Amino acid sequence: MKTRALVAAATALAISAAPSWGQEEVYLQVTNPGLTSVVIALPSPLTRPGGESAAARTFTDTLRADLEQTAVIRLLEPERERLVEVDPAQPALTRQRWRSVGAQFLLDSTVATAGAQLVADVRLWDLASGEIAYSRRLQAPTNLAATMAHTLANELVRLFTGRPGPFLSRLAFISDRSGAKELWVMRWDGSEAQQLTSYRSIAMGPAWSPDGQWLAFTSFLRGAPQLFLLRPTEGYLKPLSTLPGVNSSPSFSPDGRRVAFAAGGDGNTDIYVAEVESGALVRLTSSRAIETQPAWSPNGRQIAFTSTASGRPQIHLMDAEGTNARQLTFADTFADEAAWAPDGVRLAYTTMVDGRFQIAVLDMRTGTRTVISGPGSNESPCWSPDGTMLAFVSNRTGSKQIFITDAAGQPRQLTREGNNTAPSWVAQLQ
Amino acid sequence: MVHAWQTTTLVCAAVFVAMTAACSKPKPVVAPEVGRTPQPAAAPVGAERPTEVAAEPDLTAAPLPAGGVATGELPRDLAELNRLGYLKDVFFDTDKSDLTAEARDILAANAAWLRQHPTVRILVEGHCDERHTAEYNLALGWRRANAVKNYLVSLGVDGGRIDTISYGEERPFALGHDESAWRLNRRAHFVIVGR
Repeated sequence: MKTRALVAAATALAISAAPSWGQEEVYLQVTNPGLTSVVIALPSPLTRPGGESAAARTFTDTLRADLEQTAVIRLLEPERERLVEVDPAQPALTRQRWRSVGAQFLLDSTVATAGAQLVADVRLWDLASGEIAYSRRLQAPTNLAATMAHTLANELVRLFTGRPGPFLSRLAFISDRSGAKELWVMRWDGSEAQQLTSYRSIAMGPAWSPDGQWLAFTSFLRGAPQLFLLRPTEGYLKPLSTLPGVNSSPSFSPDGRRVAFAAGGDGNTDIYVAEVESGALVRLTSSRAIETQPAWSPNGRQIAFTSTASGRPQIHLMDAEGTNARQLTFADTFADEAAWAPDGVRLAYTTMVDGRFQIAVLDMRTGTRTVISGPGSNESPCWSPDGTMLAFVSNRTGSKQIFITDAAGQPRQLTREGNNTAPSWVAQLQ
Repeated sequence: MVHAWQTTTLVCAAVFVAMTAACSKPKPVVAPEVGRTPQPAAAPVGAERPTEVAAEPDLTAAPLPAGGVATGELPRDLAELNRLGYLKDVFFDTDKSDLTAEARDILAANAAWLRQHPTVRILVEGHCDERHTAEYNLALGWRRANAVKNYLVSLGVDGGRIDTISYGEERPFALGHDESAWRLNRRAHFVIVGR
């Protein structure tokens, strides 16, 4: 059942991935430089006769809920909305009325249910210019009404920021809520948590392929910790590295063809790279120190990793071929779990302050290091696919739970049951 | 209690060195404040992990070599054998995989016992406390397990009899969040997987 739901979601994404013919302008930057949010009026959609359905309501409610969670879009307050007298015979005059109560944009939509299909025609009016800023027809099976709404919300956010919203994104993580450490996945807001493995063993450190097709992770399924690839939508599992000893800490190359990981047959872990297709292995480091936690840079050219070469764990950087290795962090007594932001400039990692883990962000261009201190111990940072939010693990509630910093910078707890660790965030499943 | 238990370990280790036969049936020592009794931790821990032990086929049927000493007196049941605690765990300093003087003494006793029981096969598990990140600890536990294996080999134990695995911080012996728990979790744990 769980797998089927994931497959259904993936199918819907394929449908809604049809090319958008809305304008690609980044409205906030182009038309309103300096503005941080826009006010959109979102009146109830017109419903074609006979088109009322639970699916139509799900679509509308989900769209509203998504847009309320963005920092870039503010929905016009209902009390202002009520002031507007809608005159279907005079749409231009009606749009002026929306503008007069404070709306900058109007999202005009018509929703129809035809058999098992839900169809929405959407227009976004720029009320200042009187022009249509975005127009789109969306269509999906009625059981995927929510996914259709998430798709639209993503596109509206992209219109204003240049980056799609997080509404189809998911986090893979490790949870012991079923009694053993298993691999789980949930939506970015913590809803729809689904258990992906039931091996009753130990699962560790999942990492998404950039296209959301594969999850690489470590499992003690066969005794020793080995690296596996899982297709969450199909439940298909294949081994990626079964070197003796330890196989852990996978990180995909941006093209999804290779996985950097830590392994150590001779009693010490080093960084290796495995070809996903052929399984061919290349060893990148061979020091006597612990080397682990590789993180492939977004441009594919470099790999950040943890090394104890200087005595304590510190973040190091090398070219993706294993050459030109050098230490990157010096200001920390401990630095581990490097995570690149999609911009390739910011590197988040776990540092230690007063004996507790905290998240630090290093700006690679300026060298500026910022520690984001929070209550409890905070570790395992992971960026949202658009680079605006961070997921991390905190024990501030007494157990290990996954939090994200939302778009306003506020921490938001996503998990509550059992211990939940090792988040990995992907834009959408394939 | 922790101190009392550690002292007992030391005493027992010393007895091992002096007179292995006398220690062949050591009394279980109980440390009640610890979630999973540290010594003889082998029994409950091993019993909870049947897959790893069961994964070794036919080892119990391994024939005794000529001159094999005392192996025939060992219990046939591996869980029972592990419960007797012939092989003592060793402990590590924070973030270290170096063997302390105390650890070397214990390993010398373990090596002597293993040389006297040449058909016994063991698994050395590397464990860590929770004060590093999970994946770093997996690497650290691997170093600890192999540091122990290498030392046993240097003392004349055939490396082919010793398997190693790291559990990092995934299977703590003590569940607390302070030094009294952490010191018990920074260990190499011995499991007999064949006799």
